Amino acid sequence: MTDRAAVIEQTPNQGAPLIAAKSRIQWISYLFCLPAITLMFIILLVPIFVAAVLSFSDYSLGNQSLNWIGSKNYEVIFGRSSYQKMLWATTAYVLIVVPVSIGLGLGAALLINSLKRFSDFYKAIYFLPVMAALLAMALVWDLALHPTVGYVNQNLRLGCGTMVETILSFGWLPFVDGAQSWYSTSCADEFPLWIGDRDYALATICFIGIWQAFGFNMVLYLAGLTGVPRELYHAAAIDGVKNGWDRFRLVTWPMLGPTTVFVVTITAIRSFQVFDTVEALTQGGPAKSTYVMMYAIFEKAIRENLVGFGSAVTIVFLGFVLIITFTQRYIVEKRVHY
Amino acid sequence: MYGKSSPMSEALKHAVLIVGAIIVILPFYVMLSYSMKSPHEIDTNTGGFFGDQEPMLDEWCVKAKTPSGAVASKELIQSCTKTPIIFNYVGAFDKAPLLRYLLNGVFVTASIFLIQVLIALPCAYALAKLRFWGRDAVFMLVLFCLLIPVHAIALPLYIMLSKVGLINSYAALIIPWTISVFGIFLMRQFFMTVPDDLIDAARIDGMSEFSIVWKVMLPCAVPALMAFAIFSVVAHWNDYFWPRIAVTSDRNYFTPPLGLRMFKGDSDGDVYGPMMATATIIVTPLIVAFLLAQRKFIEGITLSGMK
Repeated sequence: MTDRAAVIEQTPNQGAPLIAAKSRIQWISYLFCLPAITLMFIILLVPIFVAAVLSFSDYSLGNQSLNWIGSKNYEVIFGRSSYQKMLWATTAYVLIVVPVSIGLGLGAALLINSLKRFSDFYKAIYFLPVMAALLAMALVWDLALHPTVGYVNQNLRLGCGTMVETILSFGWLPFVDGAQSWYSTSCADEFPLWIGDRDYALATICFIGIWQAFGFNMVLYLAGLTGVPRELYHAAAIDGVKNGWDRFRLVTWPMLGPTTVFVVTITAIRSFQVFDTVEALTQGGPAKSTYVMMYAIFEKAIRENLVGFGSAVTIVFLGFVLIITFTQRYIVEKRVHY
Repeated sequence: MYGKSSPMSEALKHAVLIVGAIIVILPFYVMLSYSMKSPHEIDTNTGGFFGDQEPMLDEWCVKAKTPSGAVASKELIQSCTKTPIIFNYVGAFDKAPLLRYLLNGVFVTASIFLIQVLIALPCAYALAKLRFWGRDAVFMLVLFCLLIPVHAIALPLYIMLSKVGLINSYAALIIPWTISVFGIFLMRQFFMTVPDDLIDAARIDGMSEFSIVWKVMLPCAVPALMAFAIFSVVAHWNDYFWPRIAVTSDRNYFTPPLGLRMFKGDSDGDVYGPMMATATIIVTPLIVAFLLAQRKFIEGITLSGMK
């Protein structure tokens, strides 16, 4: 403060104190931004650079020097069958979880939005999995899906030979042989091991992912639905749109376009990051059927200290995520509304 | 939606939603129920929701208090006989230092949030309300950093932290989260809406820019800050990925999810009860807070949608 007074005293013209104050603001601004900028560089930008550099080496923690091996790590990722399985498992997970959790989220949002009563009740329940620690709930699902003492299989077994079997075997539908249905054959033989079975493991992990994510998508869609002007429905009615499906197809869905782009992006990015369920339940198995990228990074780079290779997987992962993000930006700029 | 729905279709909607709700609730039901049952009841799927609460002998307690080779005394057996619910919840704290994990969790989560605010707020204020050379460049940097998924920087961060010997420490758990570009972005957008007159008035009153941030802007930003707090606390209390990497061996720095994960390592049937009790203890605080302030929470969590 005394500096400023001194400046005013010394210079009789009007502009000087203003300039002094301006340059003081400059310095304060830099001071305010400095911690954030420093941390952005050290914590966000430098690591990406580090990962990119290490991905061309066979570095392990403890090595004295970097040993360049060119693009060999990448060749392994895309060339060796166990890592092709990794890419496949990750992609399959994303391709299942994204559409199903979005479909369920949208469905729940539409139903809840059209209810006269209790809509808050369902909203709260469907949002519960989003709040709960995924690791904890994964372990609960693990226990519930335990082949012998698990709640799910025990109750499925209870249904065998009762009306439940009759209904779930779909033998009451024309042209369906109930005895050959999934439920009846499982009753006769044994119910799946779920996460211990290579045919079911990925689907089970996907199921937990969907269970956890769809409430989040539902909330985003509910927010999107409040933005659909009611006049559009009136206009559609005047134009002869009568049934609910046409109303959805012609009005609601197009108006939800921006929400959908957004929901797809965020769900896809999150699905690429799946880790908790895999680490806690399957550890990538059985037969690498759930060997997703995040788990591969964890196992290779941190457990087995193959840092160079893990870095290459990290860069591939980053590539996937950036492709999704830029696709979203592109779509948003091109056509937010259909 | 538009249109009138008949009672029939209304009932159908409820039916569909209730089936969905049952599936959503199922693991919570299992968790709570198993946290109250005896190992035998868990094995045989009996006892209903609460279990029969028949007193049972805690063999672990007997073993721990009897010198090896000696026969357990009658009083000991009596004092080690508990109802399953007590066995499970006491076991949760006994078999692992759960209290320590919980305190770690609170400490780490709170530290992360406080540091994030401490760093983001001045920067957001400068970006929103101060004119300086390079402001657009800084804002571009923030927008660029928003694109970086934290999962992609975990491995290099782990290497950097282990190079400076910080793995297995509170610092390792906290440092990567000290910068929240999302927080900067969010607060900047909010500060843009604060009228300039308010800041000018504060300046005329002789307040320094520093105290304007903390005494004028911070109180204005409480609603946005609340949403950000919920977002940050939920994310870091529940986080498992980073703690799993940052704390490799030292149990003193375990966060609650890491502590819970340890139960799965030794998977003899007896620990299911205490394990589910631990899960319940970890999950309950946020669930209760959510049920009490649903709107705020949904707002805060969906903010992360922008991330």
